[in-house]
Amino acid sequence: MNWWRHVMAMEIRKILAYRSDFWIIFLGQTAVQLVIATALWKSIFETQGTIQMNGFTLPMMTLYYLIVPIGMRMLTGENIGFISREIYDGSFNRYLIYPLSVFQYKAVTYLTYSLFYGVQLILLFSIYQFTMIDVTPTLMTFVHLFEGVALFLISATTYVLMAMLIELLALWADNIWTLVVMLRFFTSFFGGGFIPLAFFPLWAREILVFTPFPYLVSLPVRTVMGQSSSIEITLGIVVLLCWSFFFMGCVALMWNKGQKNYSGVGI
Amino acid sequence: MKRYIRLYFHFLRFSFSKAMEFRLDFSFRIIMDIIYYTVNILFFKVIYLHTPMLAGWNENQMMIFVSGYLLVDAINMTIFSTNMWWLPYYINKGELDYYLIRPVSPLFFLSLKEFSANSFLNLMMAIGFFTYSLNQYTGPFDTLDIFLYVLFLLNGSMIYFCTQMLMILPVFWTHSARGFVDLFYSLGLAMERPDRIYKGWLRVLFTFILPFAVIASFPARFFLEPFDWKLFVHTAVVTVFIWSLMLFVWKKGLQNYSSASS
Repeated sequence: MNWWRHVMAMEIRKILAYRSDFWIIFLGQTAVQLVIATALWKSIFETQGTIQMNGFTLPMMTLYYLIVPIGMRMLTGENIGFISREIYDGSFNRYLIYPLSVFQYKAVTYLTYSLFYGVQLILLFSIYQFTMIDVTPTLMTFVHLFEGVALFLISATTYVLMAMLIELLALWADNIWTLVVMLRFFTSFFGGGFIPLAFFPLWAREILVFTPFPYLVSLPVRTVMGQSSSIEITLGIVVLLCWSFFFMGCVALMWNKGQKNYSGVGI
Repeated sequence: MKRYIRLYFHFLRFSFSKAMEFRLDFSFRIIMDIIYYTVNILFFKVIYLHTPMLAGWNENQMMIFVSGYLLVDAINMTIFSTNMWWLPYYINKGELDYYLIRPVSPLFFLSLKEFSANSFLNLMMAIGFFTYSLNQYTGPFDTLDIFLYVLFLLNGSMIYFCTQMLMILPVFWTHSARGFVDLFYSLGLAMERPDRIYKGWLRVLFTFILPFAVIASFPARFFLEPFDWKLFVHTAVVTVFIWSLMLFVWKKGLQNYSSASS
């Protein structure tokens, strides 16, 4: 059964349907976030009159903010409402007669986006590597890049389960897109997407270790940058898998309870 | 003019009754915006743990700026955002027809029809934070300064609206689902940073071409620093230019609109 290949091919065709828009938005979003973050940190470094802050030099900070937007896109996929929208309009019915699990199908469609953005990360990294060779931290290699992309794909799997949990609330609530936006805010801020976690107060970092957020964003980004040890990466994978199993259990439980509420005609 | 004001009050009434139909969503949106405000404030709080000054402002002054851009965001979320969300859909599905044949300005109707009642409470919260920041601010200011600051922020909201429209209107030609609005949201980050961090070509980009830095950072400078005529003229020129450009593109877009077959 390699149905997932067909599903992935179909999703990639969808992604590339509006090619010019896609590339303008992709390159635009990445460049904008990069230049704004770099301008901000350049100003902070200049004010402080230092070349290193909390283990980050300015080139490292630039690289961090190059990886973060693409990494976040790998995590959050493309669609808010990838399940709830179909529950609301009643088109969720079709999945009930498909000869495969709706959640497997949805996970594959979602992760296709992650994989696609992963390829873009590799592409952008290569360009960065060749153009910024003199300021690139020496620890960065293609091995670290592939490790980081793999870690991002694992964290995207955890994230998709978290998103599914929220999307399934559509079986009870009128409108849930705001909850998905909240999840994005939390993941981005507490995962180190806005500011590297090294700049957070120690007490906050100690608390965050008990949440999935640092493993979703900060760890894969630091892995790409060659700043994570093998032990950290292994531990991160174990933690992400534990969270994934936990969320998978919650999704199964919610679906069991919630499907009784599904009318099949939408709201 | 009277007719348009009366019409707007009808929009308000319909929007509030619609919002109250989905009470859970109503509460979720309030919580979402509270989180958005908190994250924005925490962002600068964390930065000021590592530096006493940023772009020439201390933490106290930065909070005045933060409260300003949160206010602009709340105004836009309340008044324009839902309308902006639906506009590409109307253009692509040919539903713009219904708005073009009505005896009111289509731009007025399409930009203001949906008042986001959920966000209205958040606008109240943004005003609360704005007042709190002013209370905490130790520098000298009087009522006229506050009045001018609010006035410049309202002008900033108008620039924000025009810029957003300019990112959506290419839908008339591209027929894509959302235009470049995702790019607009990313660019919105430029509004949330003080303009002095932008140097060289980046400064030209964010103060002239895509004037996000003019939206909230310039008003904050009018409030926190001595009045600067150059800054005032800059703001006025950008406002007139972006409003005219938006109207021009809107008219061109309508000429290109091919109704239901779009």
